[in-house]
Amino acid sequence: MVVSTTPARLRLGIVKFASCDGCQLSLLDLEDELLDVAERFEVVEFAEASSLRSRGPYDVLLVEGSISTADQAAEIIELREQARLLLTIGACANAGGIQALRNWTSEQAFRAAVYPSPDYIDSLATATPVSEHVTVDASLPGCPISGGQLREVLASIAIGRRPQIREESVCVECKRRGTPCILVSSGVPCLGPVTQAGCGAICPAFGRGCYACFGPKEAANTASLGDAFVGAGRAPTEVGRLFAGFTAYAEPFRTQVTERRGLERSAPFGRPSVLPVGAVPPVADVMRGAGTAGGPADPAAPITPAGRSKAGGTRARRRAGDPDARR
Amino acid sequence: MPVPPGVATSGPASTVVPGASGRWFLARPNLQLLVDQLRADGRTVIAPTLADGAIVYDEITSIAELPGGWTDAQAPGSYRLAPRDDGRLFHYTVGPTSWKRWTFPPRVPMIDGRRDGAAVTFEPGRELPTRLAFLGVRACELAALRIQDRVLVGGPYVDGDYQSRRASALVIAVECSTASSTCFCTSMGTGPEVHDGHDLVLTELDEGFLVRAGSMAGSALLARLPLTVASVEEIYAAREQVAAVAAAIGDPVPTTGLHDRLLAQVDSPRWDRVAERCLTCTSCTMVCPTCFCTSVVQRSDLDGTASTGERVWDSCFSLGFAKVAGGNFRSRPRDRYRQWLTHKFATWIDQFESFGCVGCGRCITWCPVGIDVREELMAIAPPLELGVEPAPAAPVAASPSEYRVGRVRSVRHETADTTTLVIGDLDPAFLAGHPGQFAMVDLPAFPSLPISISRYRPDAIELTIRAAGPASTALTRLKPGAELGMRGPLGSSWPLERAAGRDVIIVTGGIGLAPLRPLIDAIMAQRRRFGDVRIYYGARTPHDLLYADEIEELTQRPDIELGVTVDRAGPEWLGRVGVVTQLFDQAQWDGSGAVAFVCGPERMMQVTVGVLAAHGITSDRVYVTLERHMQCGIGLCGHCQMGKYFICRDGPVFSLASLGGIFGREGV
Repeated sequence: MVVSTTPARLRLGIVKFASCDGCQLSLLDLEDELLDVAERFEVVEFAEASSLRSRGPYDVLLVEGSISTADQAAEIIELREQARLLLTIGACANAGGIQALRNWTSEQAFRAAVYPSPDYIDSLATATPVSEHVTVDASLPGCPISGGQLREVLASIAIGRRPQIREESVCVECKRRGTPCILVSSGVPCLGPVTQAGCGAICPAFGRGCYACFGPKEAANTASLGDAFVGAGRAPTEVGRLFAGFTAYAEPFRTQVTERRGLERSAPFGRPSVLPVGAVPPVADVMRGAGTAGGPADPAAPITPAGRSKAGGTRARRRAGDPDARR
Repeated sequence: MPVPPGVATSGPASTVVPGASGRWFLARPNLQLLVDQLRADGRTVIAPTLADGAIVYDEITSIAELPGGWTDAQAPGSYRLAPRDDGRLFHYTVGPTSWKRWTFPPRVPMIDGRRDGAAVTFEPGRELPTRLAFLGVRACELAALRIQDRVLVGGPYVDGDYQSRRASALVIAVECSTASSTCFCTSMGTGPEVHDGHDLVLTELDEGFLVRAGSMAGSALLARLPLTVASVEEIYAAREQVAAVAAAIGDPVPTTGLHDRLLAQVDSPRWDRVAERCLTCTSCTMVCPTCFCTSVVQRSDLDGTASTGERVWDSCFSLGFAKVAGGNFRSRPRDRYRQWLTHKFATWIDQFESFGCVGCGRCITWCPVGIDVREELMAIAPPLELGVEPAPAAPVAASPSEYRVGRVRSVRHETADTTTLVIGDLDPAFLAGHPGQFAMVDLPAFPSLPISISRYRPDAIELTIRAAGPASTALTRLKPGAELGMRGPLGSSWPLERAAGRDVIIVTGGIGLAPLRPLIDAIMAQRRRFGDVRIYYGARTPHDLLYADEIEELTQRPDIELGVTVDRAGPEWLGRVGVVTQLFDQAQWDGSGAVAFVCGPERMMQVTVGVLAAHGITSDRVYVTLERHMQCGIGLCGHCQMGKYFICRDGPVFSLASLGGIFGREGV
């Protein structure tokens, strides 16, 4: 069993790609509980907290940010091989983030518009979710992620149980906290009904429609909600743009942005220059995971420190070395 | 419904209470005294108040916090506040909050667990409930409290947390003075009048409130208030006001037989249609005053030695709700919607002896895409009777020993073997027959034959006869001027009124078109009373098509869809070839709610009803005609028995549901 009187510490790494660091900081925001985390996890890489660097291996690797440059695309494959459990955290890693809006347009045009010397910039034409590059065992949604949910995931890994993260819409959180639906009571467009909960439904409580930081919920019926917005008198492009937020590139938001031409008016946006290569695993809770070819890690299986449990270590290394795990 | 144990302290008293039977008047400003009394008794007063663009329930200390001068305008998916220019405090209906927020809160501590080495300990999470007073509970909401009482306290296991919160709450009801477009309490039998479950009930008038007590606690409160005896005018005005609300709502969801109607529709294609709109966001269940589903969420420390369990509102619309290791029983949104709707309006009755719906309309207003549960119910499980079927026409000369004579006025050869006789100079009783009825026709020296009436004219009827044997051949050879004996009109008829306001599907093969022709005539004569009308007709060859000119005319009409097919044809035939069901088995129309009339060879009808079922037309909305050896035509000779029926007397038109398993069974 995992729980023992003198628990060995799991090697925890936190790395980032194209992102703002906000998700990583959620770990530091745990404040009082940070010491508990430190008791169970040996933080071997976390640039926001320490300049100590490591090249792995990691029992648990938290990955923030989307893959936006060729170097990043190579690095994530190396990291995957060092990680037994790879979790993506936040909208950028899960869905490409706000920078994935460039996937609808020409990246060169942006580069030329923003930078005085665009030649110095070396980036890919697209910003893509980590799961388009390597097998992701699970993902934690949010922009930023919820510190409480991160703590719950770490606790579940430490204890060897399923994390209690509920697959439900933001509406549930509004209703539990007693916020009258602003979509119904004032017509404010709100993506809460199709958005995964976890934020605590903060925005609607302040009269602001949900803008889907946590990405699509399971079975998100974006077509119906979009139709309702159009039926209420909004222009289709405006409706398409509502979905073009931090998780725009996650299906089925992506389809709404594209089909309703949500980015067409704001040059240099247009049709996506890169159409979906494969299914992007849904931004979901860690129970479902987002694994593709290699399959998700079994969340019910206990995680034991690297090299100290033969079974776990072998299995994890096999997965990490599995060529099918790369994309 | 009896008040469950443990709740009775605030329920209506069964003994005679001083003042309980009286009607009193409380001037509007003096309502503050009632609030003061409740607070003096140590109660937290929960009442309607304005917040976040809606009328919500929350704690108040002053009646100035009530939404005086405001009302609401509700529609599917829409709620708006609107100002009023009078001082009424309760002139609106229910908002997004329900009283379950206090009796059954969204978050309740359940249990704390600890592990210390090998030992484990548990401690129930407990919150001491405050004493509550609910001010402004509507009739539908009283019903909702009763339903939750039944669910959470009335069974073999009791929810102690609910029980203590509920017992602590004094209930001051208000009778509605207005209705929202989403209200349907009248259909669910819960309002708008308040009958029981309250300690006090107020009916708001222009200057104040008519007040009645419903319990000892209510009477005790009245004794401490400055009341006057209500005048006859005030009592009358209060009654009128509530009656007007009931009249405004009407009866949008006829509930007779709803339980069975709904459970017969588990495979209706309408579930897919509503799932195209449903967001599975759970809003309907969260705002519902009776929904009681919850989950316990555990939170533990990082070494797993201490955990806290909290019970939270959950919903059958969330994916995790029906999840087990290895899969999910209701991963499809259509299944989640079906679970919710069939629970509320059918299986809840089996579990708890009442509907799980009180008709408050919250699920309609607060659905972000405006799905209207009333509309879905009526589409999925429409009422059995919409119109009144006329009484069957009384036959003349019913007995085989009597006949009435008619004369052939004209003859039209439809096909090589089928002829239509126009019969005039006949008893007017024949003209009063209904579509689907038949006549027993007799020529001396031949056995009498049942022939369906293929058209009613002002002064004549038509009989379309296929020369299948000697007697029918003799009939087809009659010339104008010839006489024949007739009895009738006999048998059952197509239930035209059943189809009023609905889509109509008519499927027929061969000579089966003849008994349907008067039905088609009747529908065309009052076309606007019906929804989409679709007619599918199959014959053996192009030469076997009956009423060719009329078919051509119907094809030109824009307000019906007519499909014709033949089993086989030469190159001159440009139409469809194939069996009749191929005309619509791939069609996209939705048959939920539609009524189908089918007449043709039994094998063809069997295949047809299968395809109709796949389109969502259930057996209670499919009508077929059966053919058996009929001799007397009035159920006396015994020839045409089929199961419990005499086809001539009880039929020939039957609803498929009434036939049960005998339809299409060989040898019956």
